[in-house]
Amino acid sequence: MQSKTETGKHERHSYRAKLLIDAWRLFHDNLIGRIGVCLLIVFGLMALLSYIPPHVDPMYHPMTGVDPEISYASPPSTRHWLGTDNIGRDILSQLLTGARVAFLVGISSAFISIVIGTLIGIVAAYWGKMLDGLLMRFADMVMVMPSLLVILLLSVLFGQLSIWTIVILIALFRWPAVARVIRSQTLSLKQRPFIDMARVAGASHLRIIFRHILPNVLPMALLYMTFRITSAIIVEAALSFLGFGDPNTVSWGMMLQWVWKTGHMFQAPYWLLPPGLCISFMTLSFYMMGRAMEEVLDPRLRRVRNAKHAAA
Amino acid sequence: MLAKRRKETFNHLIFVYMLFLILGCGPGNSDENMLRIGLMEEPRTTNIWLASDTNSRKVLSLIYQPLYTYDPDTLELVPWLAAAMPQFDPETISYTVALRHAKWSDGTPVTADDVVFTVDLIRRFKVPRYFSQWQFVEKTVAVDDTTVRFFLSEPRAIFLTKTLVNYIVPKSQWAPIAQQAENTKKPLVALLNAKISSPMGSGPYVIEQWRQGAFLHLINNPHFFGKNLVISNRRLGPYADSILFKIYSTADVAILALKRNAVDYFWWPIQPGYIDGLRGNENTKVYLSDRSALYYMGFNVRHAPFSDPAIRRAVSFLIDKEFIIERVLQGFAAPMDSIVPSENTFWHADGLPRYGRGMTRSDRIKAAYRLLSEGGYTWDRPPVNDAGSVVSPSRIILPDGQPMADFAILTPPADYDPARATCGVIIQEWLKDLGLPASARPMSFGALLQRIKDRHDFETFILGYGQLSLDPDYLRNFFHSANDRPGGWNMSGYRNPVFDRLADESGKAMDPSRRRYLVNDMQRIIMADVPYIPLYNPVAIEAVNTNRFAHWEQMIDGIGNIWSICRVRPQTRQAARDIDN
Repeated sequence: MQSKTETGKHERHSYRAKLLIDAWRLFHDNLIGRIGVCLLIVFGLMALLSYIPPHVDPMYHPMTGVDPEISYASPPSTRHWLGTDNIGRDILSQLLTGARVAFLVGISSAFISIVIGTLIGIVAAYWGKMLDGLLMRFADMVMVMPSLLVILLLSVLFGQLSIWTIVILIALFRWPAVARVIRSQTLSLKQRPFIDMARVAGASHLRIIFRHILPNVLPMALLYMTFRITSAIIVEAALSFLGFGDPNTVSWGMMLQWVWKTGHMFQAPYWLLPPGLCISFMTLSFYMMGRAMEEVLDPRLRRVRNAKHAAA
Repeated sequence: MLAKRRKETFNHLIFVYMLFLILGCGPGNSDENMLRIGLMEEPRTTNIWLASDTNSRKVLSLIYQPLYTYDPDTLELVPWLAAAMPQFDPETISYTVALRHAKWSDGTPVTADDVVFTVDLIRRFKVPRYFSQWQFVEKTVAVDDTTVRFFLSEPRAIFLTKTLVNYIVPKSQWAPIAQQAENTKKPLVALLNAKISSPMGSGPYVIEQWRQGAFLHLINNPHFFGKNLVISNRRLGPYADSILFKIYSTADVAILALKRNAVDYFWWPIQPGYIDGLRGNENTKVYLSDRSALYYMGFNVRHAPFSDPAIRRAVSFLIDKEFIIERVLQGFAAPMDSIVPSENTFWHADGLPRYGRGMTRSDRIKAAYRLLSEGGYTWDRPPVNDAGSVVSPSRIILPDGQPMADFAILTPPADYDPARATCGVIIQEWLKDLGLPASARPMSFGALLQRIKDRHDFETFILGYGQLSLDPDYLRNFFHSANDRPGGWNMSGYRNPVFDRLADESGKAMDPSRRRYLVNDMQRIIMADVPYIPLYNPVAIEAVNTNRFAHWEQMIDGIGNIWSICRVRPQTRQAARDIDN
């Protein structure tokens, strides 16, 4: 009896492993996905490398370190590969730290919004009726709010927000779309025989939700997470660029704000371009990954592509 | 056929008419003589009593005029609407002022009645910004049409330098508004909210059109008293037929407009980063002018920990003003060691303590550490170890044994003033060298002022006065204990009876040398107690387009002044001919 159970478990594991391998193969076949992953690896390396410069010399500290001999915006040199800002701080160190902050903001706020959105979506669909109506109307209300404007207003009212407050605020405005998608997925799953069977077998609501529904909606939630990361990075960059970011954090948006406000926008391209390009490429990389994941998760998209290939 | 010919003739006529129009708009017309000035933001109001924003005041300074103004070279008082310097009668403590034969923009004469009305209105409504300057004027009497006499309750040194440089408004326009406001429940609010679409003034220009969100167009006041008059050895114009104020929300766009001849002058301080680009452009010229300004760090001295002068002095040692000026302000500022800028040579006191000036970082930390150790402050891990080396300290412990709580350095946001926002972050790091748990907190300017000035809910802040008056009476305003109230100018809550006595005495001292002695003493007390740490006095960086207008008048605070507006001349030959004619 026991060996039968173990065999069953083993089969389930190997089935899941096969699914993962197939998914990876599909992902790997997708050029957009490959480019996205490569870009992300570059940014990941940048974030990891950001810890090194301050240990080489205190002047490479992205916020407080200044070159004792340079007190103006200077172009790239052997000492400062991307040049310095107007105070004499190393732009490369700032850029590397910016990658870390972008990951922190993007992944944290996307994760929080996915958790909130998934839970609300499942609960609304599972219990339905009035709770569903209430939660979805609430989601609609949050969805139509201009998030950047509201965060700007909060910043004006309560003073400059810390990076973690910004993360939480972005997350609180970005869950409704996830909740809507997860709700529709759950509504479809709810009608499936295996849920009925679990219910008949006496499984509790929590068990049905977490053991049977959640694993099935999780891929979709993860797909949405990649898109949420993109929007979170853009919102933080916009906030910082407008002067409402965390002044104690060196982010790419903050770098753009410094170059703008100190009057170096047209004088120092070596200062303006790197953070701008990094914001564009990082959001692009997450978007590309999301697109590729979408094809992995949705066979219909795959069929369209394959059909196009066949026709060609 | 006939119809076709008629149509052709009609078209030819239209063409010829258009040609005339185009030729008529050539050199020498009003466009050629139009001075185009860029503003950063739109003026908020044309109501002189409400105008507290810099852009409204800039525009209104060309419309309303004061009795006296400052000479651009000597900065001494010169008669403007007044015909001569005031006559003081010590027996009655009164000043008699004779007026020029000036006219309002509707052609009616400026009379002593207008002056009496202006003073009465300010006193009756207690108009903010102005009331404190007229409060001690007991009575204003029109001796005749062009002579007015001010009776003071007591001798006041600021009467000449501050009170008499305020604007005079026409009774004919403001009397009905004031009367209507007085019949409401809140007269002052009604007065401040009065809509004045075309303010009537005695200045060189009047408002022709204000299209909100787009532009503000001013035209020559044909009745301007100063036309062809010589004051302070300067023949006044104005020589520009009209002024077009264009609103540029960002400095980048305004600078581009300057370079490409789309605007003649950008009336806003420019960041040092733009200088190289402007100097390299053949169409633009950069003006660097001294300013009478004060940028400083303030403390809330009403309660611990900053009620202790020792910790304030220690912070003074930690702040490296040279670093801030060299790097944040790119050298375009002067370090300040007193509340009165050193450029104000008559009133600035010499020999004041220069905390930490010229010291290295580690020497600063050691000096501050010594000061605090003597004051009973301790650390689990002090900033200076037994070997005398500077190390990273633990949080500072106050003399009462409690670790110091986190506190914020409030600053305006980087969007408003990048220099002050950056200073906040840099000073925060310097304070951490001594275990002071500071964090910079930029916040919107309105909320910041409310928190500091009205609610007194702060520990430290960085603020500035962009245009300090030349008279040092602001020392009394900033630190007199009578002004330590919600909304009062003593934002730090500094209280010192000795200072109060000196401040009261200096306000009444009519002898300049005696007053100078008192003001010097006041500065010494403040710099010993440091409720404010003066940081820097920036240089005013401004730029003009040189293609169309020349002869800007540079004085303290820059070229944006009434002298420039009255003296600036068009460059083109035709325009110059028009002026000569």
